[in-house]
Amino acid sequence: MRKSSLFFAAILIMAALMPASAFAKMTNPVDAWNRHFDTWLVVAVVVWLVVTVPMLYFLVKYRRSSRDEDGVYIKGNTGLEILWTAVPTIIIALLGVQSWRVFNTYREVPQDAYEVRVDGFRYGFEMIYPEGIKTINELRVPVGPVKLSLSSRDVIHDFALPGFRIREDMLPGRFTYLWFYADKPGEIRHVYCAELCGPGHSLMQAKLIVMKKEDFNAWVASKKGVEGSASLSQDIRGKELIKQCTGCHSLTGERITGPTFNGLFGRETLLADGTKIAVDEAYIKESIRSPKARIVDGYPPTMPPFNLSDKEVDAIVAYLKEIK
Amino acid sequence: MREQPSGLKTWIFTTDHKKIAVLYLITACVFFFVGLLLATVMRTDQLFPAGSKFLNGELYNVVFTIHGAAMVLFWMIPVLLGFFGNLLIPLMIGARDVAFPRLNALSFWFYLGAGIIAVLGLLLPGRLDFGWTGYPPLSVITNTNTALYVFAVHLLGASSIAGSVNLITTIVTMRAPGMTWGRLNLAVWGIMGASIIQIIGIPVLAAAVTLLLFDKYLGTHFYDASMGGSALLYQNLFWFYAHPAVYVVALPVFGIVSEIISTFSRKPIFGYISMVIAIMVITVLGFEVWIHHLYVAGTANWARVLFMWGTILIGVPTGIKVFNWLATLHKGSIEFSTPMLHALGFISLFTIGGVTGIANGLLGIDIQVHDTHWVVAHFHYVLALSMSMLAIGGIYFWFPKFTGRMCSERLGKIAFWLTIIGALVAFAPQFYLGVKGVPRRYWIIPAEYAGYMRIGSIFSYIAITGFLLSLINFLYSAINGERAPSNPWNSKSLEWQIPSPAPFYNFDKIPVITEGPYEYGKPQGKES
Repeated sequence: MRKSSLFFAAILIMAALMPASAFAKMTNPVDAWNRHFDTWLVVAVVVWLVVTVPMLYFLVKYRRSSRDEDGVYIKGNTGLEILWTAVPTIIIALLGVQSWRVFNTYREVPQDAYEVRVDGFRYGFEMIYPEGIKTINELRVPVGPVKLSLSSRDVIHDFALPGFRIREDMLPGRFTYLWFYADKPGEIRHVYCAELCGPGHSLMQAKLIVMKKEDFNAWVASKKGVEGSASLSQDIRGKELIKQCTGCHSLTGERITGPTFNGLFGRETLLADGTKIAVDEAYIKESIRSPKARIVDGYPPTMPPFNLSDKEVDAIVAYLKEIK
Repeated sequence: MREQPSGLKTWIFTTDHKKIAVLYLITACVFFFVGLLLATVMRTDQLFPAGSKFLNGELYNVVFTIHGAAMVLFWMIPVLLGFFGNLLIPLMIGARDVAFPRLNALSFWFYLGAGIIAVLGLLLPGRLDFGWTGYPPLSVITNTNTALYVFAVHLLGASSIAGSVNLITTIVTMRAPGMTWGRLNLAVWGIMGASIIQIIGIPVLAAAVTLLLFDKYLGTHFYDASMGGSALLYQNLFWFYAHPAVYVVALPVFGIVSEIISTFSRKPIFGYISMVIAIMVITVLGFEVWIHHLYVAGTANWARVLFMWGTILIGVPTGIKVFNWLATLHKGSIEFSTPMLHALGFISLFTIGGVTGIANGLLGIDIQVHDTHWVVAHFHYVLALSMSMLAIGGIYFWFPKFTGRMCSERLGKIAFWLTIIGALVAFAPQFYLGVKGVPRRYWIIPAEYAGYMRIGSIFSYIAITGFLLSLINFLYSAINGERAPSNPWNSKSLEWQIPSPAPFYNFDKIPVITEGPYEYGKPQGKES
């Protein structure tokens, strides 16, 4: 008895002292997470059985048989009580050490990670690549380790990437980070916002596309070419810019948080103050820059002002004229 | 001895701890009903993939905000400290009332006022839609009535502090002769621990929401990062109280489970001393866990690791309690009365919530399941379902003592089986969604998971029906129930040694206590 407890204590101390970073190198966090979760699952099922099976057994075996029967006068057992203090402590300590190691693999970013900055806003994600290009609600990364620097332009959001078992909040006024190992080119993963950010919270989603290195480089080059050229048609720009609006305004006519963009231009619209207008360029521009000035009747005044250049606003207006 | 006054006025001006307890119970049950109703609305909404037509993204947020606030702040905490605390403490320690009866009445009226403010938050324009946690900047920059949220928390906090000071003073100073600390009921110990948490934690919560009020209406920038403030400051202050608040609910519940299991096993509670130590360890350790709500909020790595140890170590004292309950059943003489069934149902739900809580506490696992349906499932098992079930069981247990009537056992058992069958399945699918990383508080559930949510919804209706049947049972039996004898469960605890309903001023003569409350089956002539 004494020998075995000494043995346990020794293992525990060794486990706690081992430099966690020695294990962190070269580990894909996804594998580490899966292993850790499986370990917990085994422990959880065993604990559940250890509680449930004896309970059901006692309930059957010790049913009251006669009205005035008493139980046996037992007030406790120090040995047993120490046992079920010590054993759970050891199990929890071992799980904790494993968790600490997994956590370290999550926080130690490999030196060669490709870094993208992501800004959250209500309700979308803007990706800002080191090459100077930007995308909205679509993150393309090359195979290999990727680091994301996260921030927010308004309220707190969260960049959740379940496929890679990772998430981190996006806070206004500071950067947080996460990293993952992008394997399997061609695979598309879901990105969710996982921190309540308003009525459009469940629409704030994005896609992550993993690409082969050469494909990714080609994509970056083509993107750069398009952005740099003066001949970029307003249509293409508008189509890209509108993605930051479609979290709340549908293109299909469906009612979500805000009025739909489908058939917006020229639409007869009742405003909250009772006046009726036909939607025109001036109204759209005003609604982008100061959304609360004239609210459409029946919709909440929740849209934040968007700081876009005149050119960008023009592109959006041009694109909106097209959607019918 | 004073005469007991009568009439409706006496309910309004009463300072009798039993009447105030009943006022707490009625109000808390109304909020429980409101919470269940809002749960039904959400669950019905989730029957439809891609969101139903009768809610929208905005209204859905309002519904879960008020559901959370009603259930945690206006049902669970008040029913356990306000009702059970008030009813049981004087009866169990052999006192005629609490230490400050008028302060006690004030606590109740503050609680009712806070409740009315919360309901206004649901009804007035600018409805509260930022979750019961009220995180800035969302709660500051939107057009919601944040002031209602803040004032409800202030008033409720004042009520809770007054109530807790009262209960602690009563326990410390008004125990009957011979009622040593080692002879106190475990329910008294649990309520003591919970009250200590309340008076340490609530001032911090009050500070947090006060700064929110200043930020929103007076133009300060405590939580505004662009002006040098910090949004995370609020989360730290909020969870400093709001996580221990879980133990404010849990500790009295642990005590009540011990009372019921010992009584219906007709055996002394196993390991009384280790039970008391576990309660006190949780009271202290409960303040060492709050950062687990900020595991993925950009918190410093060392802080996440430190608070992981606090969080998972809570599993140890909790485990001690569960094993002690099992050992109490061992070689007992078990009677399956309605309260006992609820206590056993509590243990089975609580165990599921407990082991999944370890997963939440483990930093390495939580990084995937944080703010997902996993968390929703976990806290509904460990807190909402299990502890509501036990609160209902406790009401069944002491019903004869505060009404003088017996509850319908038949209806009670039907209600129990509906509740437990519904509860066991209602949230299980959400563990799967959580592992897949689906975020909580989504009005639109991703289509591939809609089927799982539908199963959960159907079973949640069964559980809700069970809870409603119990509420109906209480209402019916309070009027039509059989007259109760003074000690229907044949308990050894002090409150059952006086008539039912407990008379005004409780004890004709303050009793002299010679042994503890769990001395079942004690061999003749043996010293305790």
